[in-house]
Order: sequence, then structure tokens, then C-alpha cells
Amino acid sequence: MEEIELLKHRIEREQKARKQAEEILERKSLELYKANEQLRNLNENLESQIKIGITKLQKTEQLYQELIESVQDIIYKISPEGYFTFVNKVVEQRLGYSEKEIIGLHFTQLVLPEYRETLLEFYKNMILQKRESTYHEFPVSAKDGTTVWIGQTVRLIESENNNIELVAVARDITDHKATEDSLRTTQTRLSTLITNLQKGVLVEDENRKIILVNQLFCEIFNISTPIESLIGFDCSQSAEETKHLFHNPEQFVQRIDEILTQKVITVEENLNMIDGRVLQRDYIPIFLEGHYRGHLWEYADITEQHRSQEIIRKSEEKYRGIMNNMELGLLEVDNNQVIIRAYDRFCKMIGYTEEELVGKVAPDLFVAKEFNDTLDSHQKQRSKGHASSYELQLVRKDGSKLWTIVSGAPIIDENGEVVGSLGIHYDITERKSLEQELELAKQIAEDARQAEKQFLANMSHEIRTPLNAIIGMTHLLFDTRPNKQQYEYLDILKTSADFLLSLISDLLDMAKIEAGRIEVQKQPFDLVGLLRTTQRVFQIRLENRPIELNLMIDARISGSYVGDELILNQILMNLIGNSEKFTEEGSIDIAVKQKKQEDDITWIEFKIIDTGSGIPEEKLDLIFQKFKQVNAQGHKHKGTGLGLAITKQLIEVQEGTISVKSEEGEGTTFTFTLPFQKSDSEIALNTHEINYAPSSVEGCKILVAEDNIMNQKYISSLLTKWNINFIIANDGRKAIEQAQKQLFDIILMDIQMPNTDGYEATISIRNTKNPNQHTPIIALTASAMLDQKSKALTVGMNDFITKPFAPNHLLNTLRIYINSSKLAANSVIEIESDNDTESPIDRIRLKELYGDDKEYATEMFQTFLNDVLPDFQFMNNLLAQKEWVKMGTLTHKLKPTLGMVGLCDLEIQMQTLEKILKEESDMSQVQSLWENIQHGLNESIPLLEQELDKLMK
Amino acid sequence: MKGIMFTEFLEMVEQRFGYNMVDTLLKITNLPSGGIYTAVGTYDYTEMEDLMSNLSLKTNIPSQELFRSFGNYLFKSFIIIYHYIYETTTDTFSLLTSIDSHIHTEVKKLYPDAELPQFEVSKINDNTLVFYYHSSLKMAGLAYGLIEACVQYFGENASITQESLNDDSSSVKFVIAKQ
Repeated sequence: MEEIELLKHRIEREQKARKQAEEILERKSLELYKANEQLRNLNENLESQIKIGITKLQKTEQLYQELIESVQDIIYKISPEGYFTFVNKVVEQRLGYSEKEIIGLHFTQLVLPEYRETLLEFYKNMILQKRESTYHEFPVSAKDGTTVWIGQTVRLIESENNNIELVAVARDITDHKATEDSLRTTQTRLSTLITNLQKGVLVEDENRKIILVNQLFCEIFNISTPIESLIGFDCSQSAEETKHLFHNPEQFVQRIDEILTQKVITVEENLNMIDGRVLQRDYIPIFLEGHYRGHLWEYADITEQHRSQEIIRKSEEKYRGIMNNMELGLLEVDNNQVIIRAYDRFCKMIGYTEEELVGKVAPDLFVAKEFNDTLDSHQKQRSKGHASSYELQLVRKDGSKLWTIVSGAPIIDENGEVVGSLGIHYDITERKSLEQELELAKQIAEDARQAEKQFLANMSHEIRTPLNAIIGMTHLLFDTRPNKQQYEYLDILKTSADFLLSLISDLLDMAKIEAGRIEVQKQPFDLVGLLRTTQRVFQIRLENRPIELNLMIDARISGSYVGDELILNQILMNLIGNSEKFTEEGSIDIAVKQKKQEDDITWIEFKIIDTGSGIPEEKLDLIFQKFKQVNAQGHKHKGTGLGLAITKQLIEVQEGTISVKSEEGEGTTFTFTLPFQKSDSEIALNTHEINYAPSSVEGCKILVAEDNIMNQKYISSLLTKWNINFIIANDGRKAIEQAQKQLFDIILMDIQMPNTDGYEATISIRNTKNPNQHTPIIALTASAMLDQKSKALTVGMNDFITKPFAPNHLLNTLRIYINSSKLAANSVIEIESDNDTESPIDRIRLKELYGDDKEYATEMFQTFLNDVLPDFQFMNNLLAQKEWVKMGTLTHKLKPTLGMVGLCDLEIQMQTLEKILKEESDMSQVQSLWENIQHGLNESIPLLEQELDKLMK
Repeated sequence: MKGIMFTEFLEMVEQRFGYNMVDTLLKITNLPSGGIYTAVGTYDYTEMEDLMSNLSLKTNIPSQELFRSFGNYLFKSFIIIYHYIYETTTDTFSLLTSIDSHIHTEVKKLYPDAELPQFEVSKINDNTLVFYYHSSLKMAGLAYGLIEACVQYFGENASITQESLNDDSSSVKFVIAKQ
């Protein structure tokens, strides 16, 4: 029961549950139905909407299609692979290809080859990056080959099935591109131009706002603001703000206002800035279609330019001034001498106008005919590009002559070619005439000088000739056995004549010295030889007087010195003569030594020491003054008072000095020092070898060339008295004739003779073949002038005697040139004769040489043994080296030294050796001959030493 | 609460305790629905609470124990009824992790008004899964039973530990660890 009850409950519950479920289902079913109904309605609604949408879409598509068809752009589609799938009709119009031709082509086929790769890359990237839209420009080739620039927008379209398609709208931008290009080019050009302009540029608009400004502008005005931020800046106050930079601020502002008001192009205005810079300003207004749209300022820093212009201007001004002031006439000609340009000054100079000159050939118009060659030669220089200057005579338009100095220079064009020449003419007419006057004046002066010189010579001659006669005749009168009174008169006559003679000589010498006419003639000479000669001259003069004459020479003095031999001789003659005058007995010493050596100058000191009367101390100062005589009145030796003054002058012209020391009653010492140069060259000793006259004056033969009868008489009587043979020639020509006929021992030659004078006769005798080519010639000069003496030696005379001369003077001179052994025989101390005939020393020769002068002989022997002997050793060296020429020279040099010590045999052998060496004839004999000489010499040395010992005792 | 829960519950009671028990429960329990349930209907979930507490009283078995048994029963029924829903899963972990995202989504399609419990699943490693249950219905035991049945269903060897996160079984943490 319970169970049934239970089941009943269960069924009841399940029935209720079923009903409940059915109810729920019924309700749900209704809901479903309603929902379904709703859905159906919705669906229907949607369908109609879709239909409407499709219609709309179709319309839009059509519109688009039409749009695509109607657009001016090419619209196309391409597949992702790049093949055209669609293209609108515009393509035909743009590129000339039809749709059919295009479809299926690869898009790159149309693109210019050089752009293909870039383009491909671009679109590959676009697809890869899935960029929806891009814009790109590139050129394509149209069907007709022209290039068309395309600017295309490409869209990436992805369809539902992931197919990608590219849709492009391509526009022909060729024109745009071209415009853009040209614009860009212009812009680039302009901006480059402005940036690089060497000018500060500022462009303002009509409201004075900055449109453009460049860096240089900022630099000029020290604006530090960046250029970009200046754009738009208002410049209306700029002038006020920058005016302080300028020298004249107010004027600067005023001028800018003026320019801005006028709006007219204003260029090249210079502005001076306070800091020294100079600016050049340009103003250019900008007008567009007649409307003022602003303006452009340009400022250029022209400081440098301005400065150099200033410099050029100033220098131009300077040179113009100089040229105007210098009166230089400038003329330009071309290579054919055609005048291109003539400057004012030149026109004035020549008297033609420039119009008359230009185009004319210069030399034809105004160059003096005789100067055409000069001009041509200088123009040739010009064509080679050389400048030169020369004097040229021009002819003015009015025919008058004009002297000019022309400085011509080539005109060279920019290619370096000579295109003509420029001549600068300077009028030297006045100078030229002055020059000619000067020339004339100089000629007159020279003539006057010559005349004066001639006058002095003539004076000298004219006065001396009658004096000569007076003195000569006086001497002759002495020989006429006058009575005591007559003798006395004659003596006074002689003394007065002598005095007059020396007075005239000294006066003439002094006159010459004071006129500066003494010229020191430096030539190498043998100083020692000169001293020895002087010594001998005085030795002869002092013969028979108790006065010893000694010569002491410093051993360092040897060889030749450069100096004036003649002047030195005169100085020595004056000083020794002076001593001779005032010395009664005792000695006169001549001491010569080397004082000092300065570089190549040797100062030599000469001392003349006498034991004469001396000079009172208070008068020592006077002796070198003119016309002052120290000696007491009535002294037997009267003088002119000029001798020592002349001597002093002669020393001083040689830059030497002289001094005197004296003690009354004890003697006087004159010391003078002269500079000499040591000469390396051997003196050309006696270019004309002298044949010494026979040893005795007696019986020797003399040629006397003398035109003056008085002199002829005087000389004839003297020579006759001395038993000398002579021939008189009345003039030079006759002298030459005589010289050609026979040999004379001596020729006495007067200088001033008719037809051929003494100089010419000497030259002829010395230079033509005749027996007397080497005969000593002694000049008889009426003139005491040094220059005449000098000339006498130059032409080849050996010595001179100044007329009038005392008989002894002539004789002494003759004795110098005639071996005097016989003359002196009576008065000499015999050099003891060794009876040893084997001795190689030739005593006769020694006697001839030295007479009684032991001192001289001693010195010669010493010199030979000490100085000369070592030189013989060189002979061996030269022989070994076969230096024949040098050996010959040395032989010649050594040969006479052997004779001087009496080794006459060896001297002869040396002569033979010299001859062989000179002629290079028999060279095999040289060695044996030399060995003989050497042997002989070695054997002689002890004998020479013995001889020297004897002499020194 | 969906009617199926009630019908299945009553079936489970009938099967285990006999229809007498069903009848008793329905009689003694004050049910607004009058104890008339259909699977497609929807009823107040308190009725389930009341039914369960009375069953617990009657059988002297704790209600969570009963829920666990109900879970076991229910899983088998679900597998049969909603086989298409479970087809995509191959094991307990995949099923549990797909509940929230997949199964409940499907449930919502069928029963838009269904109140579904919330789960949080976190897989510690390949063998351990932590499963949080949060529900106002306090039926953690049901969840336990369902998981248990699931493990059985897939023939897996796994331990299930349950940890209450509060007193009333509304928040529970399950740790399923495969052996």
C-alpha cells in the first residue's frame, strides 16, 4: 500500500513535472517562433537593403569608372609580380601605348633603364612593408621615345583571398618636373651666387622687412645673429643703429633715407668706416609689374682695393708729377715705329700735336737723318725685349734741332710678345751745348796747361842755354892762364852763374811741385843698385877731399822694390849734396835699413849722417821752409834755400816723412822714411845691355849730338883736353847716320834738336841694326824737369846730364860708363897682387871693379859667399829634373856674380852653359860642363875666403 | 538552479537510498516547487540546500559527503548527456583547465540563465594542478566528487587534496597531483 501510495506520488509528481516541462517547452517554442518570425522579417529587410546597396554600388562603380576614364591621370593596376592588369585610356594619350599594348607588359619595361632597379626596389619594399600608399616620381619612355616624368600614387589593395594588387594613379609631371628643375637650378644658382658673393647682400621687402641676407653682410656689420633668424627683421631702425660704425653717421642715415625715397638704382657709393674699412654700397630697388616690392642693398668691403687704388692713385700722381717736373716726353710706337700715342710733354717738346704724330712713322717725321742708324740698332735691342738708353737728335716741327736722351723700353703685351716700344725723351739740348762748351773749355785749359808746361820747359831751356855758354866759357877762360885779378873775376862769374843756375832749377822744380805736377811713378827698381850708384857718384865728387863716404845697407834689403827711382835719386842727391856742401872733413854716412813691414809695404829708413858744421838748434825748424837759409851769410856755398823744401815735398808726395837732428859744430843727421812695395818680379835690368867703354877714357870714341854751337864748343874743348876722340852731329838725324857708320864708346845726346830730337834719335839707334845698338847713351838735357828725365830713360838712354854742367860732372859721368880702372889708377890703393898665377881669381878684374874700395869689395865677397853660393845648389836639382829653361834662367842670374868675385873663367864657362841651355843645342854637354863649373867653384871657395880675410884687415 | 541538478539529485537518492527516501525528502522538505522538477526548468537553489540537509539528517551522512557522491554520479550523467562537450578533452587537467573557458561557455549557450561556479586553475607543473572553487552555493563537495569522477573517468592515478579556505565550503582549494 505504501508502495502504491509512493508510486502514486511519484507518478503525480512526474505528470506534474511533464506538464511543467511541456509548459516550459510550449513557452520556449513560442519564443522560438517569435524569434524566427523576427529573423525572417529581418532577412527580408536585409535582402532589399542589399539590393539597394548593390544598385548604389553599381552606380558608384560606374561613376568611378567614368571618373577614371575622364581623369587626366593614368590609372592602372598591376599584379604583385608587376604586370599590368588594368590601365585607363589616358595612357594612350600620355604615352602613346594602347590599352591592349600595355596589358600584360611588365611595368619596368616602360621605365628608363637607369631608374628601373631603384623603382623595383621601392615597390618591393612597399609590398614587403605592406605600406598602403606611396608616392614616387620617375621617368618613363613613351612610345615615340620621348621621356615622360611620372609622379604616381600607388595603393596596395588586398582582396579577401589575400591577393595583393597595386593600383596606381600616375600623373604626367614632365612639365612640372622641368619647371621644378629649372626653378631649382635657378634657386641653387641664386643662393650659391648670394652666398659666394664677395659682397654683403641684404634684401628687404617694401616694409623694410628682411627677406634675404648673407653671411658676409653680417660679418661686415658685426652682426652675430644667425642669418636664418634675421629673416623678417624690421630694418627701419637699422641705419640709426649702425650709424656709429661710420665716419659721418648723420650723413650715412640721411643718405639711406634719400636713397629709399628716390628708389633709383644707386651704385658704388663709398663709405668710410670708423675702423678704417671702406665699404662700397649698391642700392637696387625691386619693381614687380610696376610696383615697388622692396630693394636690395649690397655692401662690399673694398678696403684693400681702396687702399691699393689710393696707392696707385698716389703713385700715379707722384710719377705724373715727377714726369711733368722732369719734363720727360713719352712716346709709344709699334714694332714698325708707327706712333701709337704721344704724350703732352713730348708733343710740346717736338712741336707737333698728338693728332699730327699718331699714325706717322717716327724716324721719318722727326729723327735727324744721321741718327737713323743709332735708332735702328737700339730698336733691334727692343725687339729682343731689351731696354736701352742713348742720345738722339730730333728735329722740331719748326726745323730746329733738339738733343734728347732717350730711354727706350719694349712694350710687352699680355702674351709676352713685344708689340712696340716706349721711349722717354729728355731734352738735353742745353746740357749738350753746355757739354760742348765744357769740352771747349777743357780743351782750352788743357792747351793752357800744355802751353804752361811747354813754357816751363822752354824757360828752362832758354835760360840754361845762355847760362851754359856763360859757365862753359868761364871754364874755358880758366884755361887761358888769366892773371890773378882776371882769375878772381872769373871765379865770381862762375860762382854767380852756378848760383843762378841752381836757383832757376830749384824754382822750376818748386813750381812744378806746387802745381801738383809731380807724379810718383811706381816701378820696380833695384834699390841697392841705386844706392851704390849714388855712392859712386859722390865718391868721385869727393875725390881728393878728406871726407869718407860710407854706405851701410841692412842685410834684409835686397832685390827689387816698387817705387819712384828718380824721385828717390833726387832726394838722395839733394841730401848728400847738402852734407857735402857743409862738410869740410870727416865722413858722410849713408845708412839704410828696413824700418818696418806692414803687409806688403816695406818702410825703409835712410839716414844721411855728416860731420859737417851742423845747424843751430833754433834754426832747425826753418830748414825745410822755402827760401830760408840757415848758413851764415857769406858762406861759400850759397843756395837758393829751396833744396831742402823741395826734398821734403818730394818725400811727402810719396807719403814719407823726413826729420833732422843736428848739433852745431858736430854734424847733421837727416832721416827720411819711405814706403816701398816689395816686388816679386825681377827688374828688367838694362833692357839695352850696355857695352862698357874701354877701360880708359883716353883714346875712346864719343859721339856728341848737339845743335848748339856754344855747347859744341864747350864740349869739344873739354873732350879735347881729356884726349877723347869725338864726332859731333848737328842734329838727331846726323847722329843716327853717324851711329850707323861706326862704333862709339859713348853717345852724348842733346834732347832738343832740329829735325830729329834726342828721344827719336835714341829710339832709332836702339831699335835699328847698327854698331851702337848697345852703346851707352847719355842725355844732355837743358831741362831739369823730372818728367823729361823719366822720358829719357824710357826711350832707352842710360843717364842724363843736366846742362849747363861743370867739366867734372861730365867727366865723372863718363867715368861711370867707362871702366875707370885706368882713370883711378893714380889715386887708388892697390889691391895687393898675388903672384900666384895659378889662382883662379882675376885680380885685374877685381881692380877694375872695386879699385881702392875695399869696403865695397868686402861686401861683395861676403854677399857672394853667404847669399849667392847656396843658389848654385839649385843647379843640381834643375839638372836632375831636366828643367832646361829654368836652369838657363838661373845660369844667367848666377853668371855675373862669379865675375864680381873675380872668377872670370867660371863666368865664361857659365856663359857657354847658358848658351847651350838657351839654344837647347848640345844637351849632352850640359852635365859635364856643369860638373866642371861646380868643381872649379868648390876649389875657389877657400881662396875667396882668404881674399875676404885680407880685405877685412 | 537548473532543473537537471534536481532531477539528477533525486535519481542519485533513488538509486542509492530507494524511492522511499526520495518521497520522504520531498515530503519533509518545504519546497516552493512542491518537489516537481523537470530538467529544463529552473528552481531556487535553496531547495537543493534544504533537500541535501534533510538527506544528511535522514541518512546521517555529512552533506559534503553526499555532495561528493552526487558529484560522482553527476559526472557520469554529464558524460553521457553532454558527450560532445567533453569530446575535446583527453585528461583531467585539460578538462579542468577548459571548464571556465570552454565548458561553461557551452553551458551558457544552452542555459543563458544558469548560475555557474567560478574556478581558478593553475598548473604548477605537468603533474600538479591547483584548483580554486568559489561559490555562494557552498557545494565544494560536489566539486570534489566531480574531480574524483573525472580522474576515474580518464583512468588516471592522481591524488586529490582538499583545503577549505573558509568555514562554509564556499572557497576551497583542490590540489590534484598525478602519481
